[in-house]
Amino acid sequence: MKSSKNQYELMIALRFLLKGRGQTVLIVLGIAMGVAVQFFLASLIGGLQISLIDRTVGAAPHINILPADRIAKPISGGVKSDNRKVLYEERTEIYSWQQYVNDLKKDKRILYAAPAANGSGFIERGTSVVPVIVKGLTAPDGLDIYKIRKKITAGIPELSSDSALLGKGICDRLTLAVGDKFFLRNNKGEQVFLRVGGIFDLGSSAGNELVVISMDRVRSFFGIEGVSVIELQVKDVFSAEKISKEYGRQYERVKLESWQEKNRELLTALSSQSSSSDTIQFFVIISISLGIASVLGIAAVQKQRQLGILKAMGTTNRSASKIFIIQGFLLGSTGSVLGVAFGLFLAYGFIAGTGVNFGFEINARTLVTPVILAILAAVIASTIPAKRAAKLSPIEVIRNG
Amino acid sequence: MAESVLKTKGLNKTYFGKVNTPVLFDINIEIERGSFTALIGPSGSGKSTLLNCLGLLDPQTSGEIVFDGKSIISQNVNELADFRNANIGFIFQFHYLLPEFTAYENILIPCWIRNGKPSPEIEKEALRIMDRIGVLKLKDKLTSEISGGQQQRVSIARALINKPKLIFADEPTGNLDRDSGGTVLDLMAELNKENNITMVMVTHDREVALRADYIYELVDGKICKYLEVKKTGKAGAAKAIEERACDFK
Repeated sequence: MKSSKNQYELMIALRFLLKGRGQTVLIVLGIAMGVAVQFFLASLIGGLQISLIDRTVGAAPHINILPADRIAKPISGGVKSDNRKVLYEERTEIYSWQQYVNDLKKDKRILYAAPAANGSGFIERGTSVVPVIVKGLTAPDGLDIYKIRKKITAGIPELSSDSALLGKGICDRLTLAVGDKFFLRNNKGEQVFLRVGGIFDLGSSAGNELVVISMDRVRSFFGIEGVSVIELQVKDVFSAEKISKEYGRQYERVKLESWQEKNRELLTALSSQSSSSDTIQFFVIISISLGIASVLGIAAVQKQRQLGILKAMGTTNRSASKIFIIQGFLLGSTGSVLGVAFGLFLAYGFIAGTGVNFGFEINARTLVTPVILAILAAVIASTIPAKRAAKLSPIEVIRNG
Repeated sequence: MAESVLKTKGLNKTYFGKVNTPVLFDINIEIERGSFTALIGPSGSGKSTLLNCLGLLDPQTSGEIVFDGKSIISQNVNELADFRNANIGFIFQFHYLLPEFTAYENILIPCWIRNGKPSPEIEKEALRIMDRIGVLKLKDKLTSEISGGQQQRVSIARALINKPKLIFADEPTGNLDRDSGGTVLDLMAELNKENNITMVMVTHDREVALRADYIYELVDGKICKYLEVKKTGKAGAAKAIEERACDFK
């Protein structure tokens, strides 16, 4: 019985809205515009942030496990003139990397854990000598951290003993193509003859200057006994710092560094951007609420006569309030759904018009949040006229005509 | 008088404000079940206020209203609203139909308030009443699209739909031309006899009042005359109304 009673309140609310069509259309458009702005902002800024983060760490390790700079290690014998009881051995490599990798691979939060050996050398081709950073990676995990297999533009993404994968930037400068050969020289003057097996484009100038060869080749060529770093990519990019700290407490002989620690400024910029977007969205919600409260407030005065007569016929205060709450809900839901449609139109129009697409973040959250917020705001705003409707005495209307 | 459906005992009404205005003084009336009662009196005599108090729209300041043998003691507005919906029908001078709804929907509003979606039987009954009072062809018209007389007939149908024990009518012909007014009064009188519905009507028109079974005349918020038309006859009642002035001093 109760639900069918609600139907009558819904029916009256609907008729009130339809009767004041012009007013209803205006407020629905007002809500729609507000929601469209909210949706556009949220998806634009969300998309921008995701794109920035993806560009920063999408094709890079999220956590680097590095050798501790100095690890206390007593040296027996050694330099007799040194009167220190404990000497420090500089360590720039991780020797027991296999144990770390095996351990880390058990963690389900970690997508990839791969060792890497780094070195710096020179490429010689004809008369050109170019300094390069050489990265020794393992396949497939090591390559997948940098998304090299996906971002290969020519050749095959394989690491064999006599071939190298080169960044697009370096290839362009040295006019290297797949199959071409070049000399790679280390800092001791030793050199190795390599073939260009593949060319990749990581989308960043630093990434495109890399020379990637197999890790074992780098280790032997640069005389590295262990590995230079263990690189991790985690499933949830924002959990990197937490995971890094967690393992930092366990692993005493290495140091861990998350992408967040290296990109504090970027994170601060992103969070300021989020706060300014939230502030704008907050004021949009306030203006939607004020609009609804004022329109329904006027409607409550306009419909005073009808409310009075409904009350004379037996409508309770609760039902009279409900008529306005339902109106608020209907305005909020219609306006917000329309607003999201406008917002989508705006977003795609923006992409089509400017040709810029850094990836609008259009998902269930950006779609549903402004709708829920607008409906909530509308319902809360409608409580003001609803209270007025509840207070109205039928006799006031009947006595005053 | 046979069995009464409504009775007041020492009813007083004062409007409180910067200046307190007493409107009704010690009203003791009794409304017979199935009767047609007229409340008459000059403007400002308190007849509409009395009707609103009897219809539980305006609470009395003191005194008792006994409805169907039970004293109405609740002052809870929602309980009173439910009671009005189930037991009382109203016909006002300015019809007070909802312009957003059709004639048929207006008639069904008291049912919606009571039960939500009306049953097919109630819908059938609404159509029967519309047919009876001659507004069936206006069924789907908005009430703003029909004439004053037709609007008042629709409001009579609305008052009847919940089969109330009592119908209160406040100057139901006051806003109509003579012909339309006559038709509305005929209809009310016929419905009163056909359905044995008790009707209480406020009017300042003595001619109209003479169609009732009982007449109460109010002057300055007090009952000054009570006439049983059956006993006095219309002529006798008319004469009594004309001749006997009230002097409470």
